[in-house]
Amino acid sequence: MDMKKYQDENAKIEFKHRYWGFQIAIYLFLGGLGGGILFLNWIATAFLFPTADLTQAIMLPNFIALLAIVLGLFFLVEELGQPPVFYRAYVTATSIIKWGAVLLTIASVGDLLWLLGNWSPAVPILGWVSVFNFVGFGNGVWLAAAGLAGFGIMVYTGVMLSTLKAHAFWSTPALPVLFTISALSTACAGIMLSLGGWPGVGADMHAAHELHELLHLCDIVLVIAEITVLLIMVLSFLGAGNRTQQRVAKRWVKGSYAPTFWIGMILCGLVIPLICNISGNPAAATVASILVLCGGCLLRFLCVWSDDRQPLPDENRYYFRLKTDDPRFMTEWYKEGKDLERGQTWAPKENLF
Amino acid sequence: MTRYAMAIDQRRCVGCHSCTVACRTWNDLPMDIIYNPVLGGVVEGEWPNVHRNYVPTLCMHCKNPECVPCCPTGASQQDEDGVVWVDYKKCMGCKVCVNACPYGMRDTSHTVRRFDEYVRKCTFCKERREMEPDKDPYCVQTCHQKARIFGDIDDPNSAISRLINRSDTFRLLEELGTDPQIYYIPALGGKR
Repeated sequence: MDMKKYQDENAKIEFKHRYWGFQIAIYLFLGGLGGGILFLNWIATAFLFPTADLTQAIMLPNFIALLAIVLGLFFLVEELGQPPVFYRAYVTATSIIKWGAVLLTIASVGDLLWLLGNWSPAVPILGWVSVFNFVGFGNGVWLAAAGLAGFGIMVYTGVMLSTLKAHAFWSTPALPVLFTISALSTACAGIMLSLGGWPGVGADMHAAHELHELLHLCDIVLVIAEITVLLIMVLSFLGAGNRTQQRVAKRWVKGSYAPTFWIGMILCGLVIPLICNISGNPAAATVASILVLCGGCLLRFLCVWSDDRQPLPDENRYYFRLKTDDPRFMTEWYKEGKDLERGQTWAPKENLF
Repeated sequence: MTRYAMAIDQRRCVGCHSCTVACRTWNDLPMDIIYNPVLGGVVEGEWPNVHRNYVPTLCMHCKNPECVPCCPTGASQQDEDGVVWVDYKKCMGCKVCVNACPYGMRDTSHTVRRFDEYVRKCTFCKERREMEPDKDPYCVQTCHQKARIFGDIDDPNSAISRLINRSDTFRLLEELGTDPQIYYIPALGGKR
């Protein structure tokens, strides 16, 4: 291969430095969703409808929030190199990850206590679990703790990524804003889909209906805000970012991520839900909520996968010397590595190269 | 106070990768981990001042490391002498520090047993120097071109201090404010 062709081939390779897998993207989405639901439910019960009994109406949303946070934590722990020692995350005071772990714990425990405290009256058939009513003495306190922690989680998911200055696309104040808006938007969608879905009696359905209408309006505003912030962020990176930011933004706008970004996230995840929500049709609003949830999940995936960092001089060429287009070579390469770890004797195989 | 640093003389480096091999051997690294890749090798300059320029890299042992404060378990630490290292007994493999390092000089191995992944990085051969204080890191000892110079940068009489003081040096990604402690003496008579 002549030098020019060799250099051209290397220039085409986009430097990738991906350490976090899909688990982190799902965790960020579920954490934001759960935190947002808890925060909005706390605001609704404590400030918007303080005299109404919304307990039964928000049972299912709060249960979904708990599931989302627990499932998100599962993915987070699963992604660790050493899952059995996940408790070490609570040790240091300076790390933002530690604050995330604390907030997730407070939110899930507060939500769990709130759910247990309200379980018995909401589900008559499970009256025997009224033993849990002992935790019901401070229902407002549990929901307030969960709601405040939920707000912290929404903000934290974006802040965590933006503190990693090595990644030019993450290291921007716009990312926490975008993630918070997206978390609120998906939380609105999640609550609207599940509001009043818990079996039982005793809810103030008039207040629940009003809450649904309010969330519907909020979701329209939030989706517009999300489109605005997202486009400003990506297009400003494309036009005025540094080389790494421009490279990532180019991938979003007209590169390999463009179909996912324009069709998946902008069109299906934001614009169509906006139109459906504005139309006022209940069926369309349901579809809109589902699409908003899918769009929020896509946003986390695209952001986590945009972890390009500024390459060192000629770094691409070094790391792409491995013949990744030769499956047999790569299989043998990693297999030999595993054999070494097991303490087996290494011997080059014939015909390997 | 002692402050360890390394100078890499690009005028001397011939890109033999001995330092890479020595490091891999001494630290018994898995196949997919390299602490000190020798980047570059591209021909630079104009005839007759052409030069094949190599950039040997390793952990920059920054004065303001991004990878230490972000660690949720306290496994990622910096000694008073500036050496950044990972306490494997505390690491849980969350890879936040790996993502925080602007130089990509930390990694976990994908070839080790599941549930046994921890973050690895260059420590300026901390254990070796603790056992034998007079010894340099293995990559420095191995470099037959003497392109790597290791020592106490706070000691005005050390070889590294004298070399850095009299040479034109640069550091990688200095604009990020991490204050990296690997100084490069550029090839081509100081012209970059």
